[in-house]
Amino acid sequence: MIVTMAQMPALIPKEVEIQRLKKIWLIVIAMGSTAASVEVDNFVDGSLHQTSIRDSAFTPAHWWLYSHFIALPLGWGAAAIYDRKVPVLRGPNNSMNTGLKMTILGYLATMFTIGVNEMWHFWFVEEIFAVPNHWMFNMGVVVAFMGALAYVVRVYARLVELGAETPGENPYVAEMYKMALEGKLYSRAIP
Amino acid sequence: MTLPKGFGSGGAGGASSSDVERMIGKRVENMTGMITISYIAAWLATFGGTAAGYFYYPWAYPTPSGHYAFIVLTIIEAIGYIFCVKVMQEGSNKNSNGVVAATVAGTAVGTVLISMFVGN
Repeated sequence: MIVTMAQMPALIPKEVEIQRLKKIWLIVIAMGSTAASVEVDNFVDGSLHQTSIRDSAFTPAHWWLYSHFIALPLGWGAAAIYDRKVPVLRGPNNSMNTGLKMTILGYLATMFTIGVNEMWHFWFVEEIFAVPNHWMFNMGVVVAFMGALAYVVRVYARLVELGAETPGENPYVAEMYKMALEGKLYSRAIP
Repeated sequence: MTLPKGFGSGGAGGASSSDVERMIGKRVENMTGMITISYIAAWLATFGGTAAGYFYYPWAYPTPSGHYAFIVLTIIEAIGYIFCVKVMQEGSNKNSNGVVAATVAGTAVGTVLISMFVGN
């Protein structure tokens, strides 16, 4: 049966919500493992560049690096589609979750910067980290990470709220969860 | 509670337990098999990726470097796999510790054997 947006209920049974949040959590863990593996690839790629200076898009380290740029958007896309079934994860006016919107905006900025960067490097060949054309790469990625973190924290805080997860034993961590659940730790724009 | 079309008893009353089960579909605590197959597939793909490196680009991607990446990645994947199964089953009566232990032990032994005998 296809359930359209207009038919989606504002409340769902607790058991259903826990199961759905955990399915989203599965996607998040899989994407976390993928992201962690790409951290290893930073070293593999660095090592490859030291050995083989002349580079190509088709080295094993690059397959690994570039394929995560496909895997992670697919994973986030799956999360964005599936989380329509969890009412608390919707954004204002039944739109997409605010954290996911921030992530998309951040990566759009990064994609735009690819063009800017290519234009810059047409005249200036050196790869200095702090040149202005790289700024928006870093700012875009930071905005994207902030949005993704807000989303992941929201999913986890909701699991805690439903009693499916236990808050930390550390009183400071427990206090942080309490504040998150009361909406005092992050923006109220995330419903 | 307002339920989607097709659920509930025509407007009167809330969701029955069979409605809840239909809304849930496959329960996460029963997904161990799928998660285990995904983990093994990821581990084999990791072997394939690193092997492609040291078989096709041996001048640029030495075998010990490939094995090192393979070992570290196997550890990362195993942590993700254990997290997935444990988080999905907590709070339920299901317990797949035996399956998880056997799978992780199998891939650990496989990783050591591959690192010792493949590509050298």
